[in-house]
Amino acid sequence: MDPKNICSAVLFPIQMLYSIIKAGMSLLLPTKRRDLSGDVVLITGGGRGIGRHLAHEFAKQGAKKVILWGRTEKCLQETSEEITLLGTECHYFVCDVGNREKVYQQAKLLREKVGDVTILVNNAAVVHGKSLMNSDDDALLKTQHINTLGQFWTTKAFLPRMLELCNGHVVCINSILSISSIPGAIDYCTSKASSLAFMESLTLGLLDCPGVGCTTVLPFHTNTEMFQGMRVRFPQLFPPLKPEMVAQRTVEAVRSNKAFVYLPWTMHILIVLKNLLPLSALEEIQKFAGCYTCMNTFKGRT
Amino acid sequence: MNIAVEFVVVVFKIVWSFVLAGTKWFVRMREKSVVGQVCLITGAGSGLGRLFAKEFARRGATLVLWDINREGNEETAEMVRDIYRKITSKGEIIGGIQDVPCQPQVYTFVCDVSKRESVYHTAEKVRAEVGNIDFLINNAGVVSGHHLLECPDELIERTMMVNCHAHFWTTKAFLPKMLEQNRGHIVTIASTLGLFTTAGVEDYCASKFGAIGFHESLSHELKAADKDGIKMTLVCPFLVDTGMFKGCKIRKEMAPFFPPLKPEYCVTQAMRAILTDQEMVCTPRAMYVVTFMKTILPFEAIVCMYRFIGADKCMYPFLAHCKESMNNNETKISS
Repeated sequence: MDPKNICSAVLFPIQMLYSIIKAGMSLLLPTKRRDLSGDVVLITGGGRGIGRHLAHEFAKQGAKKVILWGRTEKCLQETSEEITLLGTECHYFVCDVGNREKVYQQAKLLREKVGDVTILVNNAAVVHGKSLMNSDDDALLKTQHINTLGQFWTTKAFLPRMLELCNGHVVCINSILSISSIPGAIDYCTSKASSLAFMESLTLGLLDCPGVGCTTVLPFHTNTEMFQGMRVRFPQLFPPLKPEMVAQRTVEAVRSNKAFVYLPWTMHILIVLKNLLPLSALEEIQKFAGCYTCMNTFKGRT
Repeated sequence: MNIAVEFVVVVFKIVWSFVLAGTKWFVRMREKSVVGQVCLITGAGSGLGRLFAKEFARRGATLVLWDINREGNEETAEMVRDIYRKITSKGEIIGGIQDVPCQPQVYTFVCDVSKRESVYHTAEKVRAEVGNIDFLINNAGVVSGHHLLECPDELIERTMMVNCHAHFWTTKAFLPKMLEQNRGHIVTIASTLGLFTTAGVEDYCASKFGAIGFHESLSHELKAADKDGIKMTLVCPFLVDTGMFKGCKIRKEMAPFFPPLKPEYCVTQAMRAILTDQEMVCTPRAMYVVTFMKTILPFEAIVCMYRFIGADKCMYPFLAHCKESMNNNETKISS
């Protein structure tokens, strides 16, 4: 074994320990935060739900411009007016991220009319919310196209310029359901799992690109229209998250360049348990917690 | 039912599941017989699909082979017929059962699993010619072999459609009968790149994570519906030496610890898991450690670990190899 490898082998545990301590410290001490005053933020699905709150939060924390993409013009217009009233320049465009050609078209238009996007927030998502055999085939595919493939297209549209400028951030609003699935949302769980992998792979690839970072946020059940009707068994123990809180924590993570955020932090325990417990034990716990019946009352958005 | 009582029951069930899991570590479970049962394998024309076909053939199962490539599929079928001749003449079937109640047969169908209509249409043909299937092995897989920003969009879509969306259609085609009879076994051949990722193969990782997400969701749905007769197995092999990821390389000093798997070894481990109704199998076992570390370590430490193993950029030589081959006018989309 040559000296270089011996050094690597010795340094490795030290490096690991250092990373763990550094991560611990960053929880306690304030870290260097990104100044948003030069940033042009694009939020897909920005007309309502978490997207709308994200727009508000970015505007509040000083973003230069906020752009909203979505499918329903009315919601986009309302949110855009709210942001403009706050004093931040806001534009909106109707764009279905599941439609690849539309994404590229709108991206080009955006560059010409507004400028280069420096923060891309892939938030747009839909859920069909039925069991596999009750799911409509087209609806299954639609979820995959919007939740997963849409992120490929938006990233391909905006990342090259971010790399050129050495300035950019790709954000993904994912879900804990990508890691711990439940019955009754097979389309959503599949698409979110795919999207998580996309972001993780991208994050690893961008480690060598200075100035360009990634953030993936995995929230628990959030109290928005999208999952309305979904009900866990012990809402006092596991209350749904407020979308304002999710938005705030997302913007914080972007500013401190944090790669993965689980909301609430107790989700970490769930994930560790998932890897430690035998599957049948996990199933019993999920059943007891009401995960198996929580989608029975799902109404969703028509 | 009183919540406290229910809680106590759940605790007992959890402890019992640990006991069962512990027993499985020490006691070698008996493999179930598949003699006379029908096994459908997608992507049977090459790689792991072909090896699975041969393994099931050795155990006396009837095989239904699906592949987009007619030639490869027929080659596999010939190998299977060869095996059938050997087992029926010598009366030797792995699994110890000497009687072959019915002559096993192999059926081939050309099918593009990425196309919903093709899957449904071929499934109809299978039901008409063969009957109901007992095992569904979702194995077909492709990779684009390009970096994200250089990858043609059609190839990204194709990877997702074959590796992930295809599972929707094949499962929807065959699950109803399994649900009716409360009998069947669905196997998803994913990858360790469905449990953790590496740079450069975003489309492949996304499709494999999706396949696993689908598998786990379906597993919960079946459990919620009390369909305990339908078994599910998730197979996550590390890099298998089938040529699909030719050129992929981890750090050379770590290579002895994580060598690319021999396909036969991977399939043998997978068969054991399938035939003992094991829910998940990773090959090699070291992968369990990697996935566990991933859940407890902070991201910076995970990166440190990946960099040490050379796993973060292990696909870059594979992508370079693909690019070079493309420039030499070879097609590099392998399935």
